[in-house]
Amino acid sequence: MIRHLFTLIWNRRRANFLLITEVFLAFVVLFVVGSMLVYNQQNYRTPLGFGYEQVWRLDLDPGSLPEAGRLATVRQVMTQLRALPEVVAVSRTSFNTPFSGSSNGSPVSTQDEKIVVEHASGHSVEDPLREVLELPLVAGRWFDKRDDGAALRPAVLSRALAEQLFPGQSPLGQVVDRNDEIFRIVGLVEQFRADGDLEEPRPAIFLRVNPQDTTLNEASTLLLRVRPGAGAELERRMSTGILATAKGWNVSITTLPEQRAAQLKRTLTPLVALGLVCGFLILNVALGLFGVLWQTINQRRAELGVRRALGATAGAISGQVLGELLVLTTFGLVLGLLVAAQFPLLGVFSIKASVYFTAMLLAAAGLYLLAAICALYPSQLAARIQPAVALREE
Amino acid sequence: MLFSYLKIAWKVLLRRKFFTAISLFGISFTLMILLVVYALFDFAVGPQMPEKRTDRLLFAHSMYIWGPKTENQSSASYSFLEHHIRPLRTPEKVSISTSTGTAVAYVGNQKLKLDQKYTDAEFWQVLDFDFVEGRPYSASEVRDAAHVAVLNETTARRYFGADRGILGRTLVTDEIRYQVVGVVRDVPATRDLTYADVWLPITTSTQDIHNAEYMGSCMAILLARTPQDVPAVQQEFAQAVARAPLPTDVYKWCTEVRLYAGSLLATHVRDFMGKDGPDPGVARFAQLGTGLGLLFMLLPALSLININSSRIRERSSEIGVRKAFGATSGALVRQFLIENLFLTLLGGLLGLALAAGVLHLLNTSGLIAYTEFGLNGRVFLGAVLAILFFGILSGVYPAYKMSKLQAIKALKGESTAA
Repeated sequence: MIRHLFTLIWNRRRANFLLITEVFLAFVVLFVVGSMLVYNQQNYRTPLGFGYEQVWRLDLDPGSLPEAGRLATVRQVMTQLRALPEVVAVSRTSFNTPFSGSSNGSPVSTQDEKIVVEHASGHSVEDPLREVLELPLVAGRWFDKRDDGAALRPAVLSRALAEQLFPGQSPLGQVVDRNDEIFRIVGLVEQFRADGDLEEPRPAIFLRVNPQDTTLNEASTLLLRVRPGAGAELERRMSTGILATAKGWNVSITTLPEQRAAQLKRTLTPLVALGLVCGFLILNVALGLFGVLWQTINQRRAELGVRRALGATAGAISGQVLGELLVLTTFGLVLGLLVAAQFPLLGVFSIKASVYFTAMLLAAAGLYLLAAICALYPSQLAARIQPAVALREE
Repeated sequence: MLFSYLKIAWKVLLRRKFFTAISLFGISFTLMILLVVYALFDFAVGPQMPEKRTDRLLFAHSMYIWGPKTENQSSASYSFLEHHIRPLRTPEKVSISTSTGTAVAYVGNQKLKLDQKYTDAEFWQVLDFDFVEGRPYSASEVRDAAHVAVLNETTARRYFGADRGILGRTLVTDEIRYQVVGVVRDVPATRDLTYADVWLPITTSTQDIHNAEYMGSCMAILLARTPQDVPAVQQEFAQAVARAPLPTDVYKWCTEVRLYAGSLLATHVRDFMGKDGPDPGVARFAQLGTGLGLLFMLLPALSLININSSRIRERSSEIGVRKAFGATSGALVRQFLIENLFLTLLGGLLGLALAAGVLHLLNTSGLIAYTEFGLNGRVFLGAVLAILFFGILSGVYPAYKMSKLQAIKALKGESTAA
């Protein structure tokens, strides 16, 4: 039966060529949208690895003020902030704080440089950052006073980075190389995705800012955790207080939830727009298929009438109509799969192949579903053909 | 003749209303999406307030400290532009301003985030802002670093509670007091090179004219005397950048400083395509845009072709009669094409209306600040072109196929070409 249907479609391949092209393009559209949905959804479901709800970011810009006094002023500001009852903890960090849109990517390697992990997100931080971002440690310890006299600067790695660098060994106490500087690993965190909810998870490394550091450059931004309920009123008091201490500086305060919302809006808006456009394209294809099928049934009344007269049941007739469309869909699908398979094979966007395969499955299922829905009404129409009426028309 | 074709087309459309509806849906939504995208594009780079004289304006925005292996990209510094670009002779005026930054103002305990931009006095002369009251700050005020400010209407309303009669009142941003001297109509955030909530004299900012660093956060806007003068200005600009000493004391690897003056379109395309050479990639961008547009139109067009083919099949006896009475293939092709163009025109009108609705929705949604997207003459012209193209694209093939029918077979009601 199925072979018969394939033969039917194949014999009319020139007449069906345009329909097959349409199905093929519809598959490509579904595949592209599916890939994007699966990719973003997988990223969104991966835990961030830190708490951001009560965290504020504070940028202090000295403008053209002399280099010398900058760090002292920032230390003064930090002491002032800690004295506020609503503030839980304050820490200096490098500019690439979570959701800020700024990022850092440097290769991290073992000391012999045999294993190199590219694009690891590096964060220079002070000890209180753990409390600010509520980082859960999975092994070892976080930075503390014990590191003050250490020969090598200490580092905390994300678990993924440690496993890539030291497969099968304990990473604690090992030494890693980043930008020609060596660090000793003291602890591991599960995950740290500062790039945001929808970005691909990257390996991360925390580097301790030395308390004896004399310049501001490495960690010029402040992150602070406030008590629940703190709002605009505290922000205003803070900003007035800081400007009184740091005269001539530029201060800006934002909350991490705000930055996260802004980042999501920035990423999701084009995605939603694209989704709507693709939804329209698919609807267009569906209506087109439906219309063509309906017309075809009207033209094939005589043929279907003969089949009914020779004893085919109504079910067999509607089965044939549905089957023909599904076979047609399969032709388009195979073409589409040939194109879609190039993405994981060539690794165009360096996305995991599993994302593409899931998207292919989703797109194929979607396409068959679409075809089945389009064929539903025309197939019933075909099944209702009365042989006596249809044959007399001829 | 044309009239009778149109009359037939109208009757055919009314005969099978469901198919007409499917076709119209496809056409109108396709055109709506194209029109919305084009309107957004036009709104960002077309001549609009405040960049009304786009054919004479040049923007220099991204600077590249270039070496064979390494490259740093940022905006240019205030001092670089002051020392190397300000003295240019061919442009009528040169304006230097910072990129938009944010500042905070408070109304009671409520925080207002303001986008602010520091500019010189020429900024107000090269661009055309619509002042609703007051005036721009003058060259002498900029020289003396006077604390004066120009606001947009929305900020005036949010900060003072009124957008008229606020001249001379004081605005406090980041704890610094400025006196309001002018209020302008809101500039949409899509004009990101000139947009701000508050404009302040550049001498009151932290920008340092004596800083030797080339990278900073400033940009230059140049106004050529005539549109024909633009290449001459670009040439002098390029010479001035080439003459600037290499900043090898900071960037030892640097062999070239790259900064280009380009039109509004070129500047945006350069940022979008990430080009660091003299060619901003406008041609490549146009190819890309056209390609994507065609690809997008392909599916709806195919769908329409399929529907048209099966619709024309219904009319095989009509075609047979016409052929039997001597109509040529050409005449039939022309008739079906005109019918299809008529259909696309109807769909196009619907699409225009839908596009206007979507743009209105975008304006009210506040997705992008202060936008007033709308349909203008250029968008309308684009719509007409797209309709013609789409109508011909989707009409030619079915018309050709039907005109090939043999009269005898067609009269018998057979629909497949011999």
